[in-house]
Amino acid sequence: MRLLLVAVALLLAGCGSGATASAPSYNAADVMFLQMLIPQNQQGIEIVRLSKDRALPADLKVLAAAIESTQQTEVDDMKGWLRGWNQPETMDMNPQAHAGHGGMKMAATDLVGTLEAAPDAEFGRKFLDVLTGQQQGAVELAQTENGTNGGVNAQARDLARRVIESRSAEVKQLLNFKL
Amino acid sequence: MTLKRKLFAAAAGAILAPVLVVVLPATSASAHGYISDPPSRQANCAAGKVPDCGNIIYEPQSVEGPKGLRSCNAGLGQFAQLADESKPWPAKSVGTTVTFNWVFTARHATSNYEYYIGNTRVADIPGNNQQPPATVSHTVNLAGYSGRVKVLAIWNISDTANAFYSCVDLQIGGGGTPPPTTTPPPTTTPPPTTTPPPTTTPPAGGTWAAGKAYKVGDVVTYGGASYRCLQAHTAIAGWEPPNTPALWQRQ
Repeated sequence: MRLLLVAVALLLAGCGSGATASAPSYNAADVMFLQMLIPQNQQGIEIVRLSKDRALPADLKVLAAAIESTQQTEVDDMKGWLRGWNQPETMDMNPQAHAGHGGMKMAATDLVGTLEAAPDAEFGRKFLDVLTGQQQGAVELAQTENGTNGGVNAQARDLARRVIESRSAEVKQLLNFKL
Repeated sequence: MTLKRKLFAAAAGAILAPVLVVVLPATSASAHGYISDPPSRQANCAAGKVPDCGNIIYEPQSVEGPKGLRSCNAGLGQFAQLADESKPWPAKSVGTTVTFNWVFTARHATSNYEYYIGNTRVADIPGNNQQPPATVSHTVNLAGYSGRVKVLAIWNISDTANAFYSCVDLQIGGGGTPPPTTTPPPTTTPPPTTTPPPTTTPPAGGTWAAGKAYKVGDVVTYGGASYRCLQAHTAIAGWEPPNTPALWQRQ
C-alpha cells in the first residue's frame, strides 16, 4: 500500500510538471517530424502493396506485409497525436520550411508509378532499391527528430527511435535479398 | 522557465546525452545515395555482412564529400571503416559486363556518374543536370579486367560542390586470379538469414526476440505481458509487441 501511494505521488508529480504552460509537451520539430513521416509512411505503404501481385520470394512478401501494417499503426498514432495537439495532419507545403529536415523526401519523382509500370523481370530489383531508399529516408527524418535541435515530445522521440531501429533492420533484410 | 526547471532540464540533458550519442549517429540530415548491387562496402555493412562498420550501417547513403576524391569513405573520419582494406569485404562474382544499381533517399540533380578502377575511369555516364529517375542502373563494360577488383563509383551532384562515393568489390570472371592474401574468403561471414539482435534493443525480459521468425498463433512474453502473433513476420528491434498491435495481440 505504501509503495502504491509513492507510485501515485510520483505519477501526480509527473503529470503536474508536464501540464504547466512553461513546459510544452511538443515543439515545432515534433510537429514537422510527424507531418513529414505520415506521407513518408503512406508512400512506403503504397510501395509495399505493389509486391502483392508480383512474383517475389515469400520472405520478401512477408516483410512487405509487416511493413504495411506496422507503418499504418504509426500513421494512425501520429494523426492522433497531431489532433491532440490541435496541429494539422498535413505539412506546410513550402519546401523552405523543411530545409532543416533535409528537404522534402517526397520528391517529384513518381516512385510508385514507375514501379507499377515495371515489367516482372525488372520489378524485384527496382522494388528493393526504391523501398530501401524510402525506408532510409524515414531514418533521416527520425535522426533529425532525435538530434540536436530536434523534438521534445517523449512519444514522438520514442517513435523516432523505433523508426531508426526498425527501418535499419528492414534495410538489412532488403539488402540481403538476391534478385 | 523557473531555475528549478532549468536545472532539471539540464540534468535530464546530461543524463540523456551520452545515451543518445551511443544509440543515434550524429548526423546532418541531408540525403543521398549509394550502390546496392553488386553490394558496395556501405551496403555490405548495412546488410550485416561485415562486422564493426560503425555508424555507416544507419546511413549507407551518406558517404558525401567534395568532388574529385578517390577514397571509399569520402575522407570522412566517421566512415573510416569503408577505406580499411584489411576488413573482409565480400566480392561478388561477376562477368565482364556489370550492372550497378543505385539506392537514393534524395534525388539531387546530377552532373554525372563516374566509375574508376585504380586511376582509370572505366565509365562516365551523364546525368544532364537532371534529378535521377525512380531507379538508376548503369551497365559498365569491364573487359580487360579479371580477378578481384575494387570499383570506385562517384555520383557527382550538379548543384553542390559535393559527390557521393561507393566502393564496390568484385570478383571478375570465372576462375580468375586468387584474391589477395589480405582478403579472407567471404565464407567466414555469418549467413545473412540469421539476424543477430541489435545491441540497441533494451532487454525487456521475455521470450520475444529480434531476429526470430514468428507465425500466426505464436505466443511470446514481453515486459511481463503475454502476446499472440496476428501476422507472420521476422521480429526486429522497433517492432516490440506493445508497439505493434497489428502484429501482436495482448493476451
